[in-house]
Amino acid sequence: MTQRVGTSLEFAFTCSLSDGLHARPASHLAEAANDFASESFLTNLRTGSTASLKSVLAIISADVRHGDRCAVQVRGTDEQAAFAALQRFVEQVLPGCDVPLAGVSPAAGSGTLPRILQSAGVKFCFGSAVTAGIGQGKVVQLTGMALPTSLSARTAIDSPSELAQMKRALAAVRARIGEKLAHLQSSTEAAVLQADLAIASDVSFAAKLTEHIAQGKSAGQSVVEAGEFFIDLLRHSESEYIRERALDVEEICLQLLEEMYGRDFQSAALELNEPSIVVAETLAPQQLLGLDRRWLKALVLEYSGATSHAVILARSLGIPTLVGVKSARAVIPPGQEVIVDAVRGFVVTELTPAVERFYERERKTLASRQDFSPLQTSGPAITADGRTLEVGANASSHDELTVAFENGADGIGLFRTEMAFLQSDRPPSEEEQFAIYSEAARGAKGRRVIIRTFDLGGDKAVPYLDLPAEDNPFLGYRGVRIYAEYRGLLQAQLRAILRASAFGQIQIMVPMISSLEEVLQFKNEIEEAKRDLERKGISFQQDIPIGIMIEIPSAGFILDQLCSELDFFSLGTNDLNQYFLAADRDNPKVTELSNVLHPGFLRFLKQIVEEIHRAGKWVGMCGEMAGEIRHLPLLVGLGLDEISVPPSQIPAVKRALSQLSAADGKRVLDDMIASRDKLAIENLLDRAQAMQSAQPLLSKELVRLGSESKNKEEAMQEIVDAFYIAGRTEDRQRLEEALWLREAAYSTGVDYGFAIPHCKTEAVVADSVGVLKLSQPIDWGLVRDKPVKVKMIITLAVREPQSANRHLQVLSKLCRKIEDEEFREHLLAVENAHDMATYLAEQLEISLH
Amino acid sequence: MKIVAVTACPTGIAHTYMAAARLEKVAKTLGHDIKVETQGAMGIENKLTENDIRQAQIAIFAVDIAVEERERFNGVKVIQVPLQEALKDPHSIFAKIQR
Repeated sequence: MTQRVGTSLEFAFTCSLSDGLHARPASHLAEAANDFASESFLTNLRTGSTASLKSVLAIISADVRHGDRCAVQVRGTDEQAAFAALQRFVEQVLPGCDVPLAGVSPAAGSGTLPRILQSAGVKFCFGSAVTAGIGQGKVVQLTGMALPTSLSARTAIDSPSELAQMKRALAAVRARIGEKLAHLQSSTEAAVLQADLAIASDVSFAAKLTEHIAQGKSAGQSVVEAGEFFIDLLRHSESEYIRERALDVEEICLQLLEEMYGRDFQSAALELNEPSIVVAETLAPQQLLGLDRRWLKALVLEYSGATSHAVILARSLGIPTLVGVKSARAVIPPGQEVIVDAVRGFVVTELTPAVERFYERERKTLASRQDFSPLQTSGPAITADGRTLEVGANASSHDELTVAFENGADGIGLFRTEMAFLQSDRPPSEEEQFAIYSEAARGAKGRRVIIRTFDLGGDKAVPYLDLPAEDNPFLGYRGVRIYAEYRGLLQAQLRAILRASAFGQIQIMVPMISSLEEVLQFKNEIEEAKRDLERKGISFQQDIPIGIMIEIPSAGFILDQLCSELDFFSLGTNDLNQYFLAADRDNPKVTELSNVLHPGFLRFLKQIVEEIHRAGKWVGMCGEMAGEIRHLPLLVGLGLDEISVPPSQIPAVKRALSQLSAADGKRVLDDMIASRDKLAIENLLDRAQAMQSAQPLLSKELVRLGSESKNKEEAMQEIVDAFYIAGRTEDRQRLEEALWLREAAYSTGVDYGFAIPHCKTEAVVADSVGVLKLSQPIDWGLVRDKPVKVKMIITLAVREPQSANRHLQVLSKLCRKIEDEEFREHLLAVENAHDMATYLAEQLEISLH
Repeated sequence: MKIVAVTACPTGIAHTYMAAARLEKVAKTLGHDIKVETQGAMGIENKLTENDIRQAQIAIFAVDIAVEERERFNGVKVIQVPLQEALKDPHSIFAKIQR
């Protein structure tokens, strides 16, 4: 139903969403409305309340429930287009907006207490670890930013003057944020300020404030009440993203109050002056950045989001962080010394001797592991069979660059430049861009920095570009395709990049290339920018390398032509895969189909890499495919020159690479390419993982004599730790549970003072035998109601056995040998780990190498 | 006495083999002739043949899980004990046989 009402276009619809127009669909709707200059309003015909479609807050407060009839009115310069887009959105997209969001998966284990601590009756509270690590310190509580209720009591003297005061405050706050945004280096911070600005400019927020003042309330009281109203609405959304916005509302309200009353309503920056654990309901990124990181040992948050800005920041800064710790502020009192175990996912709130002993051992284990197989933070990654692979970082902000270089990035494989374009209502100037790029070039100290020219359009809408809303933005007007229309922007960026090239090894990369013509055109643009700089006498690197992202499949079929024009290539696997398989990875219904391990996709990648190498050119990979440790055998097998990964991943990726063999990788890749089903592919990857550590059954690192473990729990932990230190397991918790599971059936103690704990588990990377000889015999549980004391513990851990496994034969031989008294006597008599390992190897006829 | 035996435990990587070794050792000291089949992670090993079973006066199952190919033992006198018993007190198993 379409009609012209007065001067506006109008259509009506019935809300089919079972939970009504709650925050998530509302945010989509507002996004759609904000693509147009036209004003658009929604009227809930049941209640008569009208909301601006451009305000999420307003749409939510219109309280549209399931079955409500609503009218939408559109009025303005581009009303035809806006009307069509909104109607289409409401009819086709909105009903699907209720699909449950993909859950936020915490990075690490969430809460099983190790047996030792369980049996010691330790006090603790669980949470989800989002940045792994262990921190110990005194608790400092951040009381949050709750709005001061004292202001509610103020009575208004004069509504018009209160209104004027409020308007002044709003304008001042907006101006201040705008000011900050203009002088910003860090894009992480910019994103936060951008969100604040959106709230300060929200039309219905302003309307609510005005409404309260009109009712005779003071400006301050109105701010508090309007704030609480919206915060309450947002907090109850089931959308993570929208709940985060409650923080922004709070932040803006506090700034308004400060503006009006000149008092600092924000909790003052916390002074930390000893090792501290900061406990808070939640944290604004500004607060986190205000903390002294020398003393900040861990963060404990009640709020459960793993994607809040502060959590993302904490992760990139490597601060051990637990989220979702219920009533943390109530149960973890200030001043108390606690340990945050953000490896296992809990806070120990009382440091008993048992806890101290556990973490003392834990620290030693972590240090030994580091010594035995250090995370590699410098030098190139070299595979076990001697192939070098450059590991670069993907970055888009100053903070990420810092972490990347600290972590030993060999370069920046992808520097995204969109952030500067998205954080303001005007494009960044050449000077602003030059500042960013030259800083990156200098920070890289001679390492390669690949700067990608702006990829705007598509899903990245920019207010100052008049880009049309598209039915299919990913197949639309984005990347290189908009450069002809926005030549001025492109020239400014190219000049900024070229100028920065005088300060380091900069390379230019262009996104969304599908044809040779686009490349030639882009190269002309670079020539033009160079001429411009030459005229002005500004220096730059003349032969700056030029390359493209390979993300449109067509580019992969004209490589002979492209190679003759370009210096390098980078595989943007996210888009390449989505275009190749015609499956949107963000669409839960087809996520399954969007699979970088599809044999067709792997064949395509292989073909691309081979062809580029035949032409003698360089090819890297900067998509998410590169960041997964599991995929590394494949990437090595592909023969890439570089992979570019998230900055925090670099040391782990380099370490894993050093254990891989390029030859094995090539075999795995070929097997996968020939695979006919998904399961086979997964199995191949699993096997590659195990192959990665073609380790012998036994090594001297797995033998420990003179153990001081005092009970079964400690001994088990020590065994698992030894496996971890020797690189036999990455998942201690799972290995330990597997061993205990077996003990639950009945104790693995046997007479003669031996115990043979064992398990089948994928938690070990290789079949392994561990030996622990105790200084003092310990109880190993009851065997047929009688306690068994053991002195020698031989642990067997095998992966799910393939048939006719040689390792199993060795293990059965070992078990049979334990029946042999001479063998046992010898084991008990051996004095050092090396002799023990050698003797066992002889007896079992196995090699230690 | 001619004895056949089967050992089997759920994981099948340790106790199955220890128990087999233990039964063999004790049987030997008692002067019995024993053949022990292991049913472990590597499948059936040292498999008892039809002939082995026919000649045996008794079969010992020291098992915590079901014996595979149980039908082979139809018509044979079977003593079944938890596997643990073979490790903890093998003599008592043989004592039961004597009775």
